[in-house]
Amino acid sequence: MVLIGTLGYHNLKDFSLGPILFPIMQEMDWPDEVEIDELNWGAVAIVQNFQARTEPYDRVVILSATPRDRPIGTLTYYHWQGGIPSLESIQDRISEAVTGVTSLDNLLVIGEYFDIWPTETLIVDVEPHPEQAGERLTDALQARIPEVLKAVEHAALADWSAIKPKEILEGKQFELYP
Amino acid sequence: MCFKNLPVEFDENGQAYLKEGVNNPYDYQVIDLAEREDKVHELLAKNGFIKSVDYDPVTRVAGALAFHSVVDLKNKKVVSTNSMATLFRGYEIILRGRDPRDAAYISSRACGVCGGVHATTAALAMEMALDIKPPPLGIVIRNLLLSIEYLYDHPLHLFLLAGPDYSEQLINATNPELFKAATKAPAKNQAKHGYSTVGEIMTDLNPLTGKLYLEALGMTRVAREAYVLIGGKYPHPQSVIPGGVAATITPSVLNELYIRLQKFFDYGQKVVGIWDDVFDFMVEFNPDYARCGIRPATMADTGVWDRPGVYDASYANMDEWGNARWSTPGVLVDGEVVTTDLSKLNAGLEEFIEHSYYEHWDGQRFKTDPLGLPLSPNHPWNKETKPKPGKQSWRDKYSWDTSPTWDRMPMEAGAYTRLYMTAKAQKLPTSEFLESTGHSLKILVPGGVLPDAGLEWKVPEHWNALERNRARAYAIPYSAMVSMENWKMAMEMLRQGETEVSTPYEIPKKGTQMGVGFWGAGRGFLSHHLVIDDGAIGNYQIVTPSTLNAAPRTPWGAEGPYEEAVLNTPIIEANMDDDFKGIDILRAIRSFDPCMPCTTHIMVDGADKLITREVTTCACGVE
Repeated sequence: MVLIGTLGYHNLKDFSLGPILFPIMQEMDWPDEVEIDELNWGAVAIVQNFQARTEPYDRVVILSATPRDRPIGTLTYYHWQGGIPSLESIQDRISEAVTGVTSLDNLLVIGEYFDIWPTETLIVDVEPHPEQAGERLTDALQARIPEVLKAVEHAALADWSAIKPKEILEGKQFELYP
Repeated sequence: MCFKNLPVEFDENGQAYLKEGVNNPYDYQVIDLAEREDKVHELLAKNGFIKSVDYDPVTRVAGALAFHSVVDLKNKKVVSTNSMATLFRGYEIILRGRDPRDAAYISSRACGVCGGVHATTAALAMEMALDIKPPPLGIVIRNLLLSIEYLYDHPLHLFLLAGPDYSEQLINATNPELFKAATKAPAKNQAKHGYSTVGEIMTDLNPLTGKLYLEALGMTRVAREAYVLIGGKYPHPQSVIPGGVAATITPSVLNELYIRLQKFFDYGQKVVGIWDDVFDFMVEFNPDYARCGIRPATMADTGVWDRPGVYDASYANMDEWGNARWSTPGVLVDGEVVTTDLSKLNAGLEEFIEHSYYEHWDGQRFKTDPLGLPLSPNHPWNKETKPKPGKQSWRDKYSWDTSPTWDRMPMEAGAYTRLYMTAKAQKLPTSEFLESTGHSLKILVPGGVLPDAGLEWKVPEHWNALERNRARAYAIPYSAMVSMENWKMAMEMLRQGETEVSTPYEIPKKGTQMGVGFWGAGRGFLSHHLVIDDGAIGNYQIVTPSTLNAAPRTPWGAEGPYEEAVLNTPIIEANMDDDFKGIDILRAIRSFDPCMPCTTHIMVDGADKLITREVTTCACGVE
């Protein structure tokens, strides 16, 4: 089973890339083994849902727009390679998660701590325009949608041997913690 | 006499009027904080053992809170405090001019924990403004949703946020002598929780690895599952609406809910046993712990859980339906009940902005409430939100929080206020499971794996950090038993064929309507004051529990509840060197269960920037 999960607050323009593309991806044709779901409902809840599954996911693809000081619109597609910060930092991230903060970094770290991520966990992450309120993407991000969807499709469907060793497109692993 | 400081009196018929012969009845003194700050600066400069201790942010709280304190490490006392809300909460501005039906959905986003509570409070305000009376089942289902939110919230705070402050890890790092004694202290409630010593409990309170921490994480799932059966999703439900709920309620939905609710019966007993043992031990070991976070029990609560057949949403009958709630609304001053009437609670409210990043507003639109009770120009129905970011200064403005008062007194709020008010007021409806004695709240918890238990929360002698958390533990079985009362009613209604859950309504296109929603977040007091002008929201004002608790000083210099509680806290921590963690200060702050509205975003007129980006949060170098 493959999960494509979208992440991001609503109504924050580029930061809402995940929620904006979620219904579009639902309408696309996918093989039966691919599920599309939102991952906005809190990292702890997501961990618990993963833990409750009888059949673990073979692959997870997370789509997000997270600011990382890249040029706006930069698309990064990378393999989550694990690792966790200090226990104190994890504790702080759990405190944030249970009190309503939605964040890719917290989700990855908390998920890693509770060991929910399959080896084949891939992130498609786009650099958003600085935070603004609004329902639509900026033109810069709107123009990247075909590439974003292509990256998601590749991440979800490509043979693992074709993905694993490579940094795809402009991809690299980000340091989520010191 | 209800009010001692506001210029409001009552005639022999109970009709309120403004005191005669007072020129500016709502005038107040604004004191200059500079003199006090100069003294603190002098102390800091002269004494090496007096240090600034800043937390920015305060961790393990919801949202953005910073706290500045000056601590005398030699005499082990706190000299000065400032509480700072570091983000702007702009919901009042977002809501202005919108269709009133948006209020429940938008205001729900004010919090990542209590979204359902905000949605309900907005619905209550709408119901009052537009004379919408929900059907009995709608009222009962709303009560169930609220209880379940509390069953999510209280364990979360007790074990994930505040709990680590009492864990072996933290205590060994700050007061090893306390943990050493704990390992030998027998746990009196072993039959309820299975631990033979307090030390074993503290070890399982360790974050991430402790069994109690992990169990609480698991219980949040149980509560969420129960909530979404009706709410659709959590924390921002789609089914809470003015006039009731938008959900289909069937016996199978209620049975699914009961399966989850039942798990909190044993869990509630266990949690009470855990915290009774930990806190009793700490105070026995060192009586100074009873002074951690101490302040007078001067608190306000809106009451929650409406009674079908009594609640009619009207302002005119607000005191009647308020007093019929399963938790009694009102005000406590130094532990004594001053009023249980929602109308008086409402009339005594004011918000001040002298030490907050706001401009004052002009005028006073409403001189009285709909019953003729005089209102202050600073009352939420008269207040306007006019943000003005600026330099942070302890002498002037230092918080995005306002300074709310009731009868010119800073008020504390919390889950515990519900117990305190209800225990003291003795107005609890007749209940199979609950009894208010005037000095305690008795809770009969049906057994699961554990046998039936008769728990009793007693009004404490001192109001401090430990008692706040202890009362929060008792709030779990209290909420579970109110749920049981409402669950039984819901089943009976379905049996009787009463399946209606909402009342339709129209929004008038002309005229002015006003309402207030009084409901309670996990952290206590929550009010939404609404004015509708010609079919759109003309004014919307939200006062959250953390607006009350995290308040900066009043214009006349009274500290907000966090500030006062920390100021009264003795430093018991053993580390007085570079390892000083300020655990006693943090215990005092966290005992309030701070919830600073998070994810707050607001556009500035004429700009494409978000105001949250412009806030200075670092306390370093602040005057």
